[in-house]
Amino acid sequence: ESVREHAAVCKVLISISPAVAKLCVCDLLVAQCDVNCCCDPDCSAADFSLFTTCSVPIVTGDSRLCSQKAALYSLDVEANPPERIFKLIDQVNPSVFCIHAINYEKALSFSSPEMPTSENFDQLLKQFGSAAFSAEPGSWNKDIDNQNASDANETYRYEYGAPIQTVDAFLRLPSPVVSSWCSDANPAGFLVNQATKCTRSVSVEKCSNMQAVSMLFYINSSILAVNITVQSIVVQSLNGMQTLLNGSDVLRLPMILDELCINIVLGVSYHITYTDAGEIIEAAASFVLGAINKEALSIQQSFKISFTQVNTEPVPLSGNPGYVVGLPIRAGFRPQGYPFPVEILFAAFFLSTNKYGQLTILQSTSSQDCLAAQEARTPILFGYNMISGCKLRITAAMKCQPLTQTLLDLLKGQSFPEYVASFGNSQAQDVLDWVPITHRHISEQRIYNAFQSSCQIPVSLEIEVKWTKYGSLVNPQARIVSVTAVITTTAWKQLPSGRERTIPITSSVVFTDISSPAEPGYKAWPTINAKLPFDFFYPFV
Amino acid sequence: TFLLREILNNSYQLSSVPLQILFHVNGIYYTFYFLATLAMIVYKSEVFSYPDDFLAPDLALLFIMAILEALRLYWGSKGNLTEEEAPLGLSLAMTLGSVILSVYFLVWQTYVLKADVILNAVLLFTYGLESVLKVIAIAAFVS
Repeated sequence: ESVREHAAVCKVLISISPAVAKLCVCDLLVAQCDVNCCCDPDCSAADFSLFTTCSVPIVTGDSRLCSQKAALYSLDVEANPPERIFKLIDQVNPSVFCIHAINYEKALSFSSPEMPTSENFDQLLKQFGSAAFSAEPGSWNKDIDNQNASDANETYRYEYGAPIQTVDAFLRLPSPVVSSWCSDANPAGFLVNQATKCTRSVSVEKCSNMQAVSMLFYINSSILAVNITVQSIVVQSLNGMQTLLNGSDVLRLPMILDELCINIVLGVSYHITYTDAGEIIEAAASFVLGAINKEALSIQQSFKISFTQVNTEPVPLSGNPGYVVGLPIRAGFRPQGYPFPVEILFAAFFLSTNKYGQLTILQSTSSQDCLAAQEARTPILFGYNMISGCKLRITAAMKCQPLTQTLLDLLKGQSFPEYVASFGNSQAQDVLDWVPITHRHISEQRIYNAFQSSCQIPVSLEIEVKWTKYGSLVNPQARIVSVTAVITTTAWKQLPSGRERTIPITSSVVFTDISSPAEPGYKAWPTINAKLPFDFFYPFV
Repeated sequence: TFLLREILNNSYQLSSVPLQILFHVNGIYYTFYFLATLAMIVYKSEVFSYPDDFLAPDLALLFIMAILEALRLYWGSKGNLTEEEAPLGLSLAMTLGSVILSVYFLVWQTYVLKADVILNAVLLFTYGLESVLKVIAIAAFVS
C-alpha cells in the first residue's frame, strides 16, 4: 500500500523535476537490478528488501546554486520487509555567494557537440578533422595542404620497419610465434635485419605437396618491380655436410628419391639491395636444401634477411658510435705504402668465410689437443672476457723453432690484425680512429740458468683491451683506447727420447674500463655584455 | 512632508533636506556597491567559467554605471541646493538610466549571486525613494 502510494507520488515528482530523479550512477547493468543501488529503476520492491545499504544516498545538481532539487534514497531497515524510501527535496545553499541565476547556458554543464548536417559539415571538418583541434578553424588549412603535397611525392619510399610489399601481400619471413612452430605471417620490415629459426612439421609422403619446404614458395612473389633471384644453393646431406652447387639458376623442387625426400628448404637468406631514396632495386635469396627420411617428423628452418645499400660494401657496425657489448671488435691491417687501414677491402671477402680478418682467439675444442684444433677460432666480442686453451703434447721428436712458429700461429691465428677500431663505427678512411695493437713479450723464466737454451716457446697470449666511456654523462659510449697483446714464453727443454710432456697453452682476452670518473660540466654563466656604442661621445671624440 | 509644507509655507528654503541626505547616503552606498560588484565579478571569473565575451559587457556596464551615478548625484545635488529644476530634472532622467543598469545587474548579468540580488535591491529601493523626493522637489521649485 505505502509502496504504491510512494510510487504514485514519485511519478508526479519525477514529471516535475526530470533530471535529478532519473539520474542513477550505480545503475550499471541494463535491464537488471544492481545490488545496493537504490535509484535503479529495474529493481522491484522484492529486490529492495534484500539490500543492506544504499550505495548512492543522494543525487543533487550543482551545489553552488542557491536552491536546487535533490533526490534522497534510503533504506528503512526497521520495516518488515525493508523498503526503499525516495524523497525529492529542495536543497538550499546558505552562502551569500550562491548562484541565484545564470544567463550563460554553458556555465555549469558540458555542451553537447553539434550534429553534423550538410550545412555545417565542411566547417566542422576543418575544425575537427586534423590531429589537433584549434579554436580558429581556418588556421590549420595551410599545414594540411603542405602535408598532402609532400606525401604524394613519397608514396614509393620505404621507411624503416615498413613491411616490404610484394605483388600479392608482404614479403614473409617465417618465424616462431608463441611456440616454435613456423608461422608464415611475419612480414619482413625494411632495413630490419632479422634471423629466425622455427620448426616445420614434414613427412616424406606429403613433401612434394608442401609449399613451405619448396624453393618456389620463397621466390615466387616478386617485390613489386623486382624479381627475387637465386643467389646460391647449398645442398646439405643427411649427415650435415654442406656442398655449394655450381649452377644456381635451376629451380630445385622437392621430390621423392629412394625413400628420401630431397630438395627440402632448410634455410633461406634474403639479401635486399636498396638505394638511399628508400627504393628496393635488387633482391636475392640463398638457399640451403636438405633431405629428410621416413622417420623425420619435423625439420628446423632458419631464415635471414639483410639489407645493403647500393654501391656500398656490407660492413656490419659494432656500435654507433661506441661499441655495443657483445658485438665483435673490428680490426684491420694497414698495408705497406697505404695510409689507411684497409679493413674494408677485406671485409667483403672475409664476411662470407670465417671472420678471419677480425680479432679472434683460439676456441677450446673437446679434443683439447692444440695441434689437432688448428682451425677453430672465435671472434672477440666487446666486453666479454674470454679464456680458452688447449694442451700441447711435446714429444722428443719435436724441434723448438717449428714448434714456436706453430704455436704462434695457433695463438694469434692466421692473420692477426694490426689495428683495432676505437669506435664501433670507425670508417677505414679515418686513420686517427684506429688504435694500433702493441705487442709485448714476457719471459716466464724465473731462475736464470746459463745453460738454458735460448729458444723460447710461447705458451700464452693475453689480449688486454683498455676502453673508456666517452661522450655525455647520460649516454656514455664505449671507446677502445689501447690494445696490448702479451705473449708469455717459457724456456724450451729438449726432452730425452721416449719422454713426453704436456703443457697448457692459454689465450685470453680481458676488457678493462679505464674511464675516469665523470665530471658534470655546466654551461658558463651568461655575462652581461654592455658596451657603449662607439660613437657615444660623438662631438667630443 | 509636514516639514516640507512648513518650509514651503515659510518659503525661505525650497531645497529638500531629506533629498540631500539621501544623495549623501547614496554616494557612500554606491561606492560600496561599486567595489563589491567589481570584487564579485573578479571572484566569478576565477571560480566559474566566464568567457571574455560575457565578461566584457558586464565590466563595461559597471563602469558606465559608476560614471552615470557620479554625474547624476552631482547634478541632483546641485539642482537641489541651487533650487533649479533643470539639473534636478536631468538627474531624474539619469536615474532612469541607473535603474535600467541596476535591473541589468539584478536580472541579466551572466552570474547573479545572492549578494548581487541584495545589493541591487537596496540600490533600486534607494533610487525609488530618490525619484519620489526629486519629483516633490521639482514640484516645489516650479511652483
